[in-house]
Amino acid sequence: MKKRYTFILILALCARAAFAINDAEQDSLYNDFRIEEVEVTARALTKDIIIPQTLKGAELERLNALSVADALRYFSGVQLKDYGGVGGIKTINIRSMGSQHTAVYYNGVQLGNAQNGQVDLGRFSLDNMEEIQLFNGQKSDIFQSAREFGAAGNVYLTTRKPYFKEGEKVHVRGQMRFGSFALANPNVGVDVKLAENLSLTMDAEYVYSNGKYPFRYKRVLPSGETAYDTTAVRQNGDVNAVRTEFGLHHYYNNTGFWRIHAYNYYSERGVPGAIVNNVWRNGERLWDRNTFVQTQWQDKWFNRWDMRVLLKYANDYTHYKNYEERLLPSDNEYTQQEVYLSLANKIQIFNWWDASVAYDYQYNTLARRNLLIAEAGTEYFNRHSHWLSAAMAFNIKEYLRAQASVLMTAVNNDAPHVTPGVFFSFRPYPKIDLSLNAFYKQSYRYPTFNDLYYTDLGNASLRPELARQHSVEIAYNKADKRYDIHLSASYYYNRVTDKIIAYPKGQQFRWTMLNLGVVKINGVDAKGDFSFFLPLRFVLRTRLNYTYQKAIDVTNSNDIFYTHQIPYIPLHSGSVVLGLEWTSKRGDHYGFNYSFIYVGERYGQQENSIYNYVQPWYTHDLSVYGEWGIKPVWLKANFELNNMLGQDYEVIQNYPMPKQNIRCTVAVRY
Amino acid sequence: MHSGSKILRICSAIFIVLCSLYMTGCRGDEVIYPTIGTQVTEEEREGGLYVLCEGNMGSNKARLDYINLKTGKYYSNWYGSQNPKQLKELGDVGNDLQAYGTRLYAVINCSHKVEVMDRKARHIGQIDIPNCRYMAFRGDKMYVSAYVGSVATPELLGSVFEVDTATLSITNEVKVGHQPDELCIIDDKLYVANSGGYLMNKYDSTVSVIDLNSFTEIKKIPVGLNPTRIRVDDQKHLWIGCQGNYKDVKPSIVVLSGETVVARIPMACANISILGSTAYILDNKNHILHAMSTIDFTEIKQPIDISAFENPYGLLATTDVIYITDAKNYVSSGVLHCYGYDGKEHWSAKTGDIPGHLCRVGEAYDLNSDTTHSEPVKQSPYISHVYEYLPATGQFVNLLPKYKEGDNEESMCRKCELAIANNAGGMICLGGWGGYVTFGFDHSVQNKDGYDMRILGNAFSMSGNAAFGSSEPGIVMVSCDDNKNGKPDDKWFELKGALYDDSSTKHNFTKTYTRAGDTIRNPFHQQPYYPQWINKESITFTGSVLAPITQKVSGQSVQRVLDYGYVDNKPNTDIEGTSFDISWAVDAEGKSISLPCIDFIRVYTAVDENNGATGELSTEITGAIDLHIAAH
Repeated sequence: MKKRYTFILILALCARAAFAINDAEQDSLYNDFRIEEVEVTARALTKDIIIPQTLKGAELERLNALSVADALRYFSGVQLKDYGGVGGIKTINIRSMGSQHTAVYYNGVQLGNAQNGQVDLGRFSLDNMEEIQLFNGQKSDIFQSAREFGAAGNVYLTTRKPYFKEGEKVHVRGQMRFGSFALANPNVGVDVKLAENLSLTMDAEYVYSNGKYPFRYKRVLPSGETAYDTTAVRQNGDVNAVRTEFGLHHYYNNTGFWRIHAYNYYSERGVPGAIVNNVWRNGERLWDRNTFVQTQWQDKWFNRWDMRVLLKYANDYTHYKNYEERLLPSDNEYTQQEVYLSLANKIQIFNWWDASVAYDYQYNTLARRNLLIAEAGTEYFNRHSHWLSAAMAFNIKEYLRAQASVLMTAVNNDAPHVTPGVFFSFRPYPKIDLSLNAFYKQSYRYPTFNDLYYTDLGNASLRPELARQHSVEIAYNKADKRYDIHLSASYYYNRVTDKIIAYPKGQQFRWTMLNLGVVKINGVDAKGDFSFFLPLRFVLRTRLNYTYQKAIDVTNSNDIFYTHQIPYIPLHSGSVVLGLEWTSKRGDHYGFNYSFIYVGERYGQQENSIYNYVQPWYTHDLSVYGEWGIKPVWLKANFELNNMLGQDYEVIQNYPMPKQNIRCTVAVRY
Repeated sequence: MHSGSKILRICSAIFIVLCSLYMTGCRGDEVIYPTIGTQVTEEEREGGLYVLCEGNMGSNKARLDYINLKTGKYYSNWYGSQNPKQLKELGDVGNDLQAYGTRLYAVINCSHKVEVMDRKARHIGQIDIPNCRYMAFRGDKMYVSAYVGSVATPELLGSVFEVDTATLSITNEVKVGHQPDELCIIDDKLYVANSGGYLMNKYDSTVSVIDLNSFTEIKKIPVGLNPTRIRVDDQKHLWIGCQGNYKDVKPSIVVLSGETVVARIPMACANISILGSTAYILDNKNHILHAMSTIDFTEIKQPIDISAFENPYGLLATTDVIYITDAKNYVSSGVLHCYGYDGKEHWSAKTGDIPGHLCRVGEAYDLNSDTTHSEPVKQSPYISHVYEYLPATGQFVNLLPKYKEGDNEESMCRKCELAIANNAGGMICLGGWGGYVTFGFDHSVQNKDGYDMRILGNAFSMSGNAAFGSSEPGIVMVSCDDNKNGKPDDKWFELKGALYDDSSTKHNFTKTYTRAGDTIRNPFHQQPYYPQWINKESITFTGSVLAPITQKVSGQSVQRVLDYGYVDNKPNTDIEGTSFDISWAVDAEGKSISLPCIDFIRVYTAVDENNGATGELSTEITGAIDLHIAAH
């Protein structure tokens, strides 16, 4: 117990915290650790004030998805930017506010990229993932780090936790995936129970693809006659990536635990570039190494006070080189470091009233080196950020839950910004799981190092970009032993002001970053999840999503694109997933899954002209799988057929996407 | 409620959602970008104006617009309507546009090519040049600056490429300074502005001088930091727009006379356009259009106000009006403004992204409504197709057009088309006696009263004595596509020329050329003279041959100009002398034949005459025109 007192001492020195404890958190913590990864089909009454969109466990495995980015396509309100192929950059944009308003958390700690503020979600494998959650606004529970109150949209990625049955000491997983475009993707994982409640997890994965996928450009004349029709193979899209992870988990009592997580990712890839007239291959190469170590300690005292300490160190290295002799040669190295500390406390004042206080500190550095010009030397940039949050949550009987939070953010020596958020959830009927939810939240997106210091283009006097969100939601759940239904619909109005945009300086092609943009967003998200437990051990699952987003530029009424839809945001998008699963008497599973993703017409530039018009795209994906328990191992095989009808589409103009492609996965667990 | 019916209802709801998604937003065939005509003015002027919109890097949105100044109609994406089948359209980042001879040339920077078009912007061919920037022309040569050479150097030097406009092939390359931008020619010298845009804030500050005769860089003249624009005025001064370093070194204009700096004007310069003795300068810092005297470099007052422009960018001063473009925020449509010299704005038109380059042409074209539907669009007065090309051994064979390893009969025909079809204005050579080319139009040529067609060559008259000159006559044969197979395999008839019945003319003459016999070279042309793409070791020709026509006149070796009926006999300026009548057709026995129309035309060299050092007489062809079809 000595260790614990040391922590309390640190805490007392660092933050004058309040004391709290919450039963629900204790349950979930306990359950997280203890429940086997089987899907809990019948839902408990919703306790969340902010209902997340969730994909987890078996449901996640059934989707035709290789990376986290692929899975996020099935959420409503989300637009994915995908440059194509296994190695192509994939970022998401939640409710049209811009990808930099989206925070991504890996096991509870935010992934950072101080350089450009974007996280490439194509690099996060689903194989080690237990759960993906998306919260609009912020996470439901006020027991969170200060920084988590800061983003407009939040994606939480939770990796698989170890679970041991009585007498089990070791679990081993092995998986091999092959697919089109020379995809080879082995994955191994080991969980070891070192002692009672102390376990070790290790996971390693390798991904290779040559990225040589055929794509086709066909155009017709207005008469229907073919103008041109050509098929070529994508070049320089190869990727080689190795991910290794290591985790140590110690649950020393029912309320307290600590864990350490180390992550390393190394990749080398080609950047295939835009396909334009007379140019069918590009020569850029990219090397990345992302390493972080994070540790979390959490406990609870007097049944009222929860406390959590997070520490993280991250070191990211990027090397970009352009081999294209015809263009500006470039060879740049970027090294980013991040030190992050978070202290979060929650106390239960009454059993209907919780309060939390949290303080976070982060130090970022970026070293930029141009390898072509020796005398250019290395440029260094750094940033100190402080966050202080206070939040309260009220549960008035079963009817009303309310939450209010305020976050103060201070970057370097700039004057701090304060952003509030208020959340309500109203449940009019005690026995019917129907809730009406609403929130208002402000959040800032701070300028990235690129915005501030990019060669000749950065502008060090930028203000942060402000997003104001207003959202109302109606949600309904119903479950019995024959079915499980979840329905929800939300309407939101967002306004992004001081949007950071590149703007010409008035010299030929000299750009600068300015706080110029204003975007107004009206949107509707509707989703439904249905599971039907049919006779003969059949289960039918469907998941429907629909998103409407009217996101218009209202920066300046003199602009030709005033009130036009902003680039790459479709008015309509949606997805349908249909799955049929059958369980044999001895417990083997066989299933079939179909998914359809639709993204409506968009424009590739600010101006909604016919020359910037981008056609809708939609893909049909199929998968079949079987799972067999052959003691002592468990075996799974999965076959996927993606873009079944071979649609030739582009998510981003001039970046063609793959036609039909397949993946086969065989996994063994012990 | 029974769960079964509920499932049914839910399934049908899903079905309805699926169906509605399909109905409302289905993806159709991707139709080519349209060409849209908009009336922007009622004003009537001569000719037309092309506008090259650059488009942003990676967007593949270089766009060539055209305004018919006679009708006042502005056509967006004009190039698209003329070339709907061009794969991935015009390309990525348009950087320069010029009309030269009968053609239009556009530099497409990030597509690494120069697009070659006829005056109506119909694709003729392209020249691949890495990172090409700007063009200058002289004679049958084009000079193109490029940020990098064909082999990149560690110092990141750029190059100027010399291109033969007849064959569209690169004939020479010279290294210059860093990232050469604009270039211009005074007499025998080419001046190139070396910007140094890739040197990361260090920039170049020189103008390279290239001697065009030796095609070597003879010196570098220091001017000012980051020169990008270079234009020549009526006094043979060079106006050089230096952009500075966008920090402490301000932009300026440096004026050179010879190699001496005669003026330094502190002024931002987005663009320069010189008209008579006035240089118009587009100052994109203060948003002012300056007019400067080319005599004393003082500012002349002018009333055009561009202070409301967001981003002044392109400029063209013409004798009647001045055109200025506003590139706005670079990522949305720009605007083309037309001003009178009295300061009055005549009209404006919405353009594509970054309208940067303007080029006025004498022709006013209308968009053919069926252009985008099917082709051929309209009967062209110019030949459209070369069916056969079989020259006899000769000093220009394998050069005009240029033979490259791997070429075959088919590819050589395509090269001939690039040179002489569609009014391209290039030239092909038929070699010695008997060598021929067969071509045709996109329609049959009607035999009407009088002349029916013209066939052009490169003959010229001796000064002061039109009876003599440089004439290399070719005999014309015609044929109808009787079997309607589109191939020139039908009966041929000779067009009876002035010497057909002359006693010196031999009919049914036969001559065989062999690869082994191809041994004679003159000092100017050292390449093989026997057509290299022909696999056979010998070629035999049969036909009529005229007696030698070369003689000494006033000490010069010249040819007697024949009366009528031969190609490359009289200069192209002599319309009658280059015209032919299908009624002249005779059959193999010399009997007149009446042909209502013809589909194929063959021309072969008519004389078998070698003059030693100047080589054999060989007919050259630069094009042909159907006189019954109006040019459009």
